[in-house]
Order: sequence, then structure tokens, then C-alpha cells
Amino acid sequence: MMTYWKSIEEFEGGPEIRARAETEFEDTPLRITAGPDRRGFLKAAGFAFAGATLSGCRQAPVEKAIPLLRQVEGMSPGRPYYYASTCSGCPAGCGLLTKTRDGRPIKLEGNAEHPLSRGGLCAVGQASILSLYDGLRLKQPLRHGKEARWDEVDAEIAAQFDRIRKEKRAVRILTATIASPTLNAVVRGFVQSFPNAQHIVCDPQSASPILESHQLTHGARILPRYRFDKAEVIVSFDADFLGTWISPVEFTQSYSAGRQPDAKPPRMSHHTQLESRMSVTGSKADRRYRLSPGEVPQVIEQLALRVARRTGAAADWAKDAPVALATKELDELAERLVSARGRSLVVCGLADTGAQVLCNYLNHLLGNYGTTLDVEAPSRQRQGDDRAVARLLEEIAGGKVAALVVPGVNPLADLPGGDVLRRVPLLVSLSPRLDETASVATYVCPDSDPLESWGDTEAVSGIASLMQPAVQTLAQTRPAVETLARWAGGQSAAYDLVRTTWKREIHPRSTGKEDFEAFWRKSLHDGVAAVRPQNTAVKPFDVKAVRPLTPTPAQDLTLVLYSKPSIPDGRHAYNPWLQELPDPVSKCTWDNYACLAPSTAERLKVKEGDVVRLEAGGHSLELPALLQPGQHEKVIAVALGYGRKESARFAGVGPGWLFRRPSLGEKGLVGGNASSFLRFEDGALRYWRSDLRLTDTGKLHPLALTQNHHTLSVPKHLDPGGGSRPIVQETRLVELSNVRRETAADKSEEDLWPRDHPFTGHRWALAVDLSACTGCSACVVACQVENNIPVVGKDEVIRNREMHWLRLDRYYSGDPTAPQVAHQPMMCQQCEHASCETVCPVLATVHSEEGLNQQIYNRCVGTRYCANNCAFKARRFNWFEYAREDRLANLVLNPDVTVRSRGVMEKCTFCVQRIQDAKIEAKRERRALRDGEIQTACQQSCPAQAIVFGDWNDPNSRLSKWMNSLRRYRVLEEINVRPSVGYLKVVRQGETNEGGSRHG
Amino acid sequence: MASVVGANTAVTDPTPLLRPPLITGKKRLSQVTEDICSAMERRPGLLWWLAFLAALSALVLGVAAVSYQIATGIGTWGLNTTVGWAFDITNFVFWIGIGHAGTLISAILFLFRQRWRTSVNRSAEAMTLFAVMCAGLFPVIHMGRPWLAYWIFPYPNFRGPLWINFRSPLAWDAFAISTYFLISLTFWYVGLIPDLATIRDRAQPGLRKRIFGWFSLGWNGSYRTWQRYEVVYLLLAGLATPLVVSVHTIVSWDFATSVIPGWHATIFPPYFVAGAIFSGMAMVLTLMIIARKVMHLEDYITGRHIDVMCKLVIVTSGIVALAYGTEFFTAQYSGNQYEQFVFLNRAMGPFAWAYWTMVSCNVLVPLLLWFRRVRANIPAVFVISILVNVGMWFERFVIIVTSLHRDYLPANWANYSPTAIEIATLVGSFGLFFTCFLIFCRILPVIAMAEVKGVLARHGALAAETKEVA
Repeated sequence: MMTYWKSIEEFEGGPEIRARAETEFEDTPLRITAGPDRRGFLKAAGFAFAGATLSGCRQAPVEKAIPLLRQVEGMSPGRPYYYASTCSGCPAGCGLLTKTRDGRPIKLEGNAEHPLSRGGLCAVGQASILSLYDGLRLKQPLRHGKEARWDEVDAEIAAQFDRIRKEKRAVRILTATIASPTLNAVVRGFVQSFPNAQHIVCDPQSASPILESHQLTHGARILPRYRFDKAEVIVSFDADFLGTWISPVEFTQSYSAGRQPDAKPPRMSHHTQLESRMSVTGSKADRRYRLSPGEVPQVIEQLALRVARRTGAAADWAKDAPVALATKELDELAERLVSARGRSLVVCGLADTGAQVLCNYLNHLLGNYGTTLDVEAPSRQRQGDDRAVARLLEEIAGGKVAALVVPGVNPLADLPGGDVLRRVPLLVSLSPRLDETASVATYVCPDSDPLESWGDTEAVSGIASLMQPAVQTLAQTRPAVETLARWAGGQSAAYDLVRTTWKREIHPRSTGKEDFEAFWRKSLHDGVAAVRPQNTAVKPFDVKAVRPLTPTPAQDLTLVLYSKPSIPDGRHAYNPWLQELPDPVSKCTWDNYACLAPSTAERLKVKEGDVVRLEAGGHSLELPALLQPGQHEKVIAVALGYGRKESARFAGVGPGWLFRRPSLGEKGLVGGNASSFLRFEDGALRYWRSDLRLTDTGKLHPLALTQNHHTLSVPKHLDPGGGSRPIVQETRLVELSNVRRETAADKSEEDLWPRDHPFTGHRWALAVDLSACTGCSACVVACQVENNIPVVGKDEVIRNREMHWLRLDRYYSGDPTAPQVAHQPMMCQQCEHASCETVCPVLATVHSEEGLNQQIYNRCVGTRYCANNCAFKARRFNWFEYAREDRLANLVLNPDVTVRSRGVMEKCTFCVQRIQDAKIEAKRERRALRDGEIQTACQQSCPAQAIVFGDWNDPNSRLSKWMNSLRRYRVLEEINVRPSVGYLKVVRQGETNEGGSRHG
Repeated sequence: MASVVGANTAVTDPTPLLRPPLITGKKRLSQVTEDICSAMERRPGLLWWLAFLAALSALVLGVAAVSYQIATGIGTWGLNTTVGWAFDITNFVFWIGIGHAGTLISAILFLFRQRWRTSVNRSAEAMTLFAVMCAGLFPVIHMGRPWLAYWIFPYPNFRGPLWINFRSPLAWDAFAISTYFLISLTFWYVGLIPDLATIRDRAQPGLRKRIFGWFSLGWNGSYRTWQRYEVVYLLLAGLATPLVVSVHTIVSWDFATSVIPGWHATIFPPYFVAGAIFSGMAMVLTLMIIARKVMHLEDYITGRHIDVMCKLVIVTSGIVALAYGTEFFTAQYSGNQYEQFVFLNRAMGPFAWAYWTMVSCNVLVPLLLWFRRVRANIPAVFVISILVNVGMWFERFVIIVTSLHRDYLPANWANYSPTAIEIATLVGSFGLFFTCFLIFCRILPVIAMAEVKGVLARHGALAAETKEVA
């Protein structure tokens, strides 16, 4: 071989110089050797292996479904692709982007272009991706509980339906709210294929009385679209609109839009909440009153009277009467509403048609219809008809129903008296899991996961969105729409059905001029299409519908059945992420419980964790008690959606070791099902009842709370007199406008010492607006999905070892009967003077040049010193090897994030994988990073847009603007660890300028 | 027992001594050798076997617990996100503290020419070694991945330019403890050489003679050997002296350099060193009282020894009490509500029982030792010495757990309770300690014969007496 000399020295020098030149780059992979070396061999072998794996991959996206994927040659492995879709966690229909990597969906993100959710996605939506990889999803149809083939089942069901058609017997189809035009059309077709069939809609969280009240007042059974962004005064009676009511993400987003204290001029709606228990919404209210459900109608009536008088409307339809709310407060409330006519909003979440009619009347008097309530383009997010459901149950009990098809609902567990379903001769469930209804069904024809099927939704009239599959069906399941179409005699695939509907129903309403193909492609790309709303025949407000209410006698104890934001209904009981998500208010995981006001608990001599027996209407349920500040004294609140069959799977959740205690209750399930306490009354599913008896059983059931101390004040006998801790800081709207205009320079960090870290390039930082944060916990699940955070089980949560990198601290202040609440997202503060970094003996946690506090898992030996020395206790230790045995569920793991092993420390990384991804992309495109290009998972999901991530060194970044806000402070600034997380103070609406800015 | 109580006046020598003798019973030189060596040459008694069995059982329990913990995870302990250290580091600091008395007695008291130390220095040094062994165990097993424990030493490696963090007190700990162990071991061994030679000389030809011969490094008792031995011993004493202060100072920095209220305190180094000597002395007392009884060494470890050690306990107890008070004062004076809260929480919070156990055992109980009658009452001293060690264990527990469990953010506050695995690990460490100590008692002289011979009362006179008899 010829050798070329590269320098005179080499040419003239001896053999040792030549040898040195030859081995100069010995340790770089650039060295070329003759023949295949070890590296080369491994590379080739790896490529061949990866290629073989990829080509054998069955989960390739459906080719004809996704235009982008026609260009398979352009798709590079390892790069994420996003497909616009629609969330089906609840009927609210938020916009989604499905993030797929190498052909498998790994994360759901909010679609920022969706006009309802605007990029937000709630905890349930975030967690619903796990449903796709759920090992307990049915893999094929069942006949009498035994596995069967689709063709057999189809043939048998078709034969039975034919017989029923001939005999003209009754067929009923019971669904949840269907906002999907396609599914609606298919169901319509199915119903029409029978001589005697009916479609009944049933919602576990029903809003039937609202629809019914609009039938009475507006002549149309509609649910108005509520516009919290346009409301300057919000009065909510028992409606948890930021937590669970109808469309929480949309409402949180618009509520947040109406509360911008930093805008010029500041915009800050005034929100009064009147409720029986402490809800997420109540925790954000400017004014909060406690009313038991029985007291609400009278209060609405008196308020309506006062507003009628002030607006000059007839006020003779009812008389003044003393109600639970003081006259002064009522007058004040009425005055505030009237002063914001047309810019106010009264909502009522009570399942009482009379109260709802009065609520409509209030909005009518205030001129809110057409401004803050849209009835022209109404919402379709709740269509349940409780009267029809009650009628159906009667029919079934009377043996009049020959066949019942139940797609997407679980009436056996959700409805009172749902047990009668066992009497239906042909019960067909389309449930994807073996829930209570499916396990007694004649046939179960499992629906595909939303991520596997085509679909659409029109959650609000005029806002149509598409659902597209991101993966082929993993098992032999079939979309419900295909199944129903087939039984109605059709044979189309879901894709064709959706396309047909869009061609027939959506495209003609499109405002643009493009042809259908272009419209379809654009809608598919955007995930959503704004079209003209359908004509709704709304009549002018009918005052005759307004009637005085018959007062309900005062009761001793009222049982209130509510929904938790984490498990809004039993459909999600299978989901370990949601089971382990702390309730935003009670901070309890893995259980439902009887919430009692502390004073009630004292009166009944019940302590937290005592098992109490609730008895009402011949039903009884044993649940642990939980003391909930801010709850009405005469109310016991119990969450629905628990005690589900699917939760039996959690028997083995969490690390198995010698002294492990079970995650499940006595019955082998998580929590207890309280739905038997529901009842139909006045044509509505009543979520409260007053015939409650509560007895202490003397048993104990430990509750897994993630927070044990609930205020920022230390216990009285240990208080050195420092007052409450300035961890959460508050300011008042008045103070904000009065305060001296500080400049950013006032907050500069002066130090005698030279800076350890000059941060010459980027400096990543995060800011959280505590005023906007509602505590909804979407970010917690988003972080969990993004960062492969394990579920540890109830026992480990009791032992204070939950692994969430991002937690929401919730603090009460003031009077425990009516406390103020602050939510504080707390994660690694990425301190500049990080106390964790100096103490690690092996340099497993170090500071990056860009301000990140990095954790190097494979260097960590697990001394836990860093966690001890963290003032925020934001670090999480792998106490055990957490279960990763479920190979199907492992498919949801984010390949960009290491799965941590036992014995190492972990914590929030500011989603460093996203930072790297964006940097690489920018570098590839030879441009600078743009502000807002990097969004952390928590920021992305936040419906309130309370989190901003960005470059602190860029003075024009949104982050820098937040950091320069007058409201910005940093937690524990005084210990000089210099966090990179800024918090914007909570803004309170106080009329008076009293009190300090501390929270306590 | 009466002779012991009256030890100070028991010597009825015609010519009164200026000071009472350190060794009673009119020992001759050969008698000393006989007394100490014969105990090792006999078969062990029933009492020894019972003690050994108990210690070994505890050790086996500990080994089982630690094996399970290493196989399963730190989760088998009662720790949580808020309380990341509890029994593990408590035990570590406790044992390191115990290990302090040995070097203090051998090095500092040697330099101060405290001749009474000769009776106790050998076993105190052995105790030190075993205690440091127990202590060294905990930083290793408390790691999430103990199999990588060697990573905290800076050694040339091929993981790139990967070095340790010299800013971390845990890295300092590794150096401090390993240095302390090595120096203590060397010091102890050098001190043993003359005695090893004595045993060699008494042994029958065979394995025993060969082993002791090897370890006595060819000692021949010549003037030159003695002279060099004394120089080396003096130098080592000088070398070991700063370690008495440095080790616990560095251990205290584990806490003092942190940002956690209750840990972040400049008072910690002297406070910890005093506490360590306090607990070490108490442990020496405990062991010596048992040893003198079981091994019939009443003439060598006399009431006077116990009296002197009790006085040291009183002094260090006073220092520790002052530190407790100063901590409260500093917190109050700081005006820092987090700092103030931590101390109120210690005294009145959920771990108040631990705090008051600590105060009673470390401050109140040692006050009894101000009375000469108590100091002369061996059972009383024995009980007090044990209580002091209980108190000192709780001191570390209080410092570690109460500071962590309620720190800055109230949302983090958590409780801590140990699991059976942790308790078994603590028991196991005692098992290890006593197993080692009991084996030591059987194979090596528990009293430094060569040194004791140097302090025999009226040595010359007794020698003359012996000659006359001969």
C-alpha cells in the first residue's frame, strides 16, 4: 500500500514518528481499517436487525388513511410524526395531535389549532393513550363470555335481529352522548332498519336538565355553548366547569382568557361559586359560598327575583323568602350581575330542571343569551336524556325489550337499577373491555380503540373535527361504527363511512370554495374544520316556563355524588395513571371516599381513614372518610366511577416485597361504586339525596394522600411566630395597578462572587402563573407519559414514594370551613446554585451550560443526598425496580427518555429530549431556535396556559416577559439556590386592599 | 466487689505512694503475662459461648436483612421522598462516634502522658476498628446501587475523564473514614507487636507459634527494638491525633454543608466531635465493665479507671448539652422561621419522644456521674453508659429525621417509621461488632501487657521482693 507523508517531520522523522502519526486518531471511530472491524460488523448487524424488525412490524399506519404516510420513503425512523385527531376520553371533543414514533403512538398532545381546546388536553385525555396498549382490552368478540369469531358472531346477531324485525319486537340502542355525525348517522340507520327501535342517550354525568330546561324556555332541546371568555361576572351554582362539567378543557381555556391580570388594561372576571363541596372550580373562585344541593334552587329563585326587580322585569311570580344565602350577599350578587348585563354568565350544574329554568331566566334577564351563552351554535357535548333512560329501564323491567345494544356505556355500573339489564334476552355490548355490562352480555363485540379507528365529532355545532387512526388495530376489534353499520345491512369501512358523512353533511356547510377532496385533506391535516353551524330552531325565551319552586325542607345530611377530574366516570377505571393521579383538591389517590367537612366529622366523631357506612334508599356502601375543608357541613360527598370491575387488575400493581400492602379495597376493587345511590326524579338523574344515614363501622382504611400537611402555616404549637411561609405569594388586583413600576434591573442578582455559570448561550427557564393554574393536573399526567414515569401503587403512595416528577401542591388558607385555595405546580427548579449538585459524590448531577440541572442515571449510585438537600424535594428515587413486565404497555414508552432502573435518582429534566429535538431540527435547517418552538410536556397540555418555557437569555421571549412581570417571584429565593422556575403571584379579587401578600 | 470499691485505698504498702497505683493486686511482671495470656490459652467458658452465639445470631439476622435489601431495593426501608436518610446514616454516624474513643485514648491520652490509659487502650482501639467497620458498612449499603460503591473513590478509569466530585462531603467521608481506619489499624497493630512476641514465646511450636511469630515481626525485646518501637509509636500517636478531630468533623459536614434547616449549622464540627468522644467513652465503659467481670481483670481495670472515664463522660456530656442549647439559641436568634420551626418541631413535634429520650440520656442521666458514689458503683456506671449510647443514637436520629421530615415546603412534609428490615440491620451491626470483639478477646491480649508492665506500682520494690524470695 502506498503511504503518503503528511508533513516534513513525518517524511524525515524516524519510524516512531510515523507510527505516532498513524495512531494519532486511534480512539476515534474515524480510523479506517482494512476489512470489517468490530464496529463495522456491529453496525451492519444492527442495521440488518433493525431492518428486519421494521419490516416485520405489523403496526404500520393504515396506508390509505393518512396522506403523509403515502410518502413512506420520506419517513425516517426515530423522528416523531404528529397526526391531528380528536380526543374521545369524554364527549367534549378536544383537538389532539397523536405523536407517533416508528409507527406507534406514544403521546397525545393538544391541538393548538382546535378552536375549543386550543392546545390544552386534560389528564384523562393524556392518559387515554394507555387504553390502546391495555392488555385487558378484548382481543376478539365474545359469545356468552367465550371467545368467538367475528363472522360467527355477526351471522348469529344478524339472524336474531332478522327474527326480531319479523316479530316487530323492541330493539333499543343505549349510547353515551354521540357528537359524531357519522356515528349518529349510522345509529340512525340502525334504528331505522327495525320496525320498533329507539336510540337512547345516557350520560354518566348527565346534563339532561339543562337540555330539558331549554326545551321549556327556548323550545329546543339544546345545550348552549358557554363562553366564559366573554363573561366578566361568572356565577356558578354547583357547576364544576373547570374540573368535570361538560367541557372542562374548553372552559378552563376560556375562563383563563377572561382572567389576564397582566393585560393592559387588566382583564379579570369576577367568579362566584356556590357549591356543596370543594371543587376545582370552587378552589379558583373569587367568592365562594357553601350551599347544599337542596338549598340551591331557592337561592337561584331569590337571585332571579332580585335581578328581575333590578332589570325591570316582572317580579311577581315568586315571593321573597329567607334562603341559605344572606340577603346582603344576594343583593350584592344581583347588583354585580346586573352591572355586567350581557357580559355575565350564570351556570348551574344541579340536576334539577326547575333550577335550570330559573338559571336560564337569569341569563335571559341579564341579556346573556347571544353573548356568553350561544344557542345558535349550541354544544353537543351532552345529549343524555334521563327521562328516556328511566323509561328504558322500566321497559326492560317489564320484559318489553327484545334486544339492547350498548356501545360505549356501562349502564349496569353507572345507572341505578341497571341490574335489570340482565333480563334482556339479547344484550349486545360493544365495550372494548369486559366491564360490568359486557360480562353479562350475550355478545360482546369489542370496539376498536380511538387511535385505531376513523371517526369524527362535532362537539359544538360548526366545529367539526376528524379522528384518524395512528396504528392498525392491535387485536381483532372492530370500530363500533362499522359494527353497527354492518348490522343495519351496510358493509362499509369506517373510513368510507366518515368520508361519506363529511361529503354529505359537513362539506356543504363549509365556508370555503374548495372541492371536497381539498376540504377533506385540509380538515384531515388540521384535524378540525370550521363550518357553518346547523340551523337550530330556537324560539324566543318563553317567560311562561318560569315558575316558583316548592321549597325543600332542610335535611340533616345530604349525600352528593360527584365526579373526580381524574376519573370522571367508570370508563377510565382501568387506567393506572388516572388511579394514581392525586385528586386536585383532596390530593387522594387510588380510592373514592366519603368527604366530610371537618366540623361534621367532629360532630359525627369520625376521623380521616375511618370506614363509614352510608345508607340511603335501601342501599349501603362502606367507604373511608376524608376530611375536606370548605365542604358544606350537611353534605357527604362521594365520587362516582369507582368500585369498577376493571380496577380488579390493580391487585398486583406496584413493587412486590415482603411488607407490601394491597392497593385494592376489601372487595378486590379500587373504591366502591356509589351509583346505586343515584335515582331518577322529575325526569332527571339525581346526584344527591337527603335520606342518608351515616354510621362509623369502626374499621380503618388508610387513604393514599400525596400531601399530608395542607396549609403554609405550621401547626400552632410549633409556630415560632413567622406567620405562614411565603411559598405561595399573593397580590391583589388593586395592588398590581398601584405598584411602583419596577424595572427588570431591580430584580437583578447581585453577588459578591463571580457567577459559577455564565450562561452565554441559551438559558432555559420556566414560569408558572399561579393565578391561572386551576390545579386540574393535566400536566402531571402529561409529564408521566412523556417521561416514562412508573405507577407505584397505593401502598407506595401511602409511604410517600409517588414518582411524579411534577406535582401540584395545594394549600388552604384562612378559615377551614371556607378556605382559600392555591395550587402550585412544583417540579425540579433547575437551580443555578443547585444544592443537589455540590453534594453528589460521583458527579451524577451536574449543571449544563444552558442552565439545566442534569441527572445522569447511569452514573448515579443512589446516595439520596441530592434529594435530602433539595429544598423543594423535587427529586424522586427508584426505591424498587418498578414493573415493566407488561410488554404491550411498554409500547407507550417514550423512546427518547431512558427508563430508570432501581437505585437511581430522577427528576424533572425540563423535557431535555424536547430541547435537544428542537435544537437538532433548527441546526438541520440552519436557523436559530424560535421562541415557543420548545414546549415542555406540562406546558403543552395546560388548558389554562399557566406554564411558559423558554430562553431566559432572550429578552424578547415570552418566558423573559413573564420573568420580568411584577408578579414574578421565586420560591425560597432567600436561600440563594436561584431557581430557574419563576412563579407569578396569585391575584386575588379582594375589594379591600387589606392584608399582606403572603398566603397562609 | 468490696475490694474494687475501695480500690484506691486497697494498697497497704509500708511506704505510701504519691498516687494510688493503677494496677492493684501487687502484680509481678510474670503475673501480668500469666493473667492476660492464660485467658487466651484456655478454652472459652460458657459465658463467652453464650455471648458469641447471641452476637452471631444478630449478625446472621443482619446479613439476611441486608441481603434482602440489596436484592430488592432501598424501598424495603421505611424511607420516602422527603426522608431520604434515617436508620442508615444514623447508624453510620453512631458507629463512627463509637469509634472515636479508641484513638482518643491511645493517641491523645498517650501524648498527654495519661498512664491510666494502658489498661484500656488495647480493647478501646479494637473497639474502634470494629466500630469503624460497622460504620463503613452503612454508607455502602445505603446506596441505591451498592455494587457501584467503589465509584466514590477517585481511581483511574476508562469511562472518559470521569472523576469524583471533590466538593461533596460524601467524597470527603470516604477519604476520612478510610484514612481513619488505616491509621487506627496500623497504630493498633504496632502497639500489639511486643505482646504478640510474648504470646509467640509462650506458644508451643506449631501453627500458633508460626502465626504469632510472623506477626511479631521478629521482635527480640532488645534495647534497640524497644527504642525504635517507642519512636514509631510516638510518631503514630502524633499522626492519629488530628484524625480524632478530623473524622467526625468531616462526618458533621455531611449535614453542615447542606441547605436543610437543622443541618445547616456551623456548630456541628465541635458538637459532633464532643458527641463522638462522649459516646465512645460510654461504649468503652460498657465493654470494659463486662470484660473485667467476665475475664477477671478487676486488678487491671480498676475503679480508678472507671472513675477517670466517667469524668471524661461528664465533660463531653456538658459540651453536648451546651451544643443542644446553642442550637436553640442560634435558631431563635437567626430570625429565620424555617430554622426556628425545626427546633420547635424537634422538641414538640411528632418526634418529640426521640428528642426527649436524647436529652434525658445525654444530659440528665450523666449528671449522676458528678457524684463520686455513683462513679464508684459499677452497675450504676454500666447502666448509665448504656443509656448514654442510647441517647447518642437518638441524637443522630433526631438530627437526621426531624430536620428532613418537615423542611421548607409544607406540602412535602412526611413521617417516617422504620421497617423490620431496618431494625434487623441495626441489630445486625451490633451483631457484627460484638462478634468481632468476642473473637478479639479470644485470640489477642485484651490488655496491653507491655504497657501495663510499665505502670505497675512500685515495680522496682516488687522486683526486689521477688528476688529475695528466690
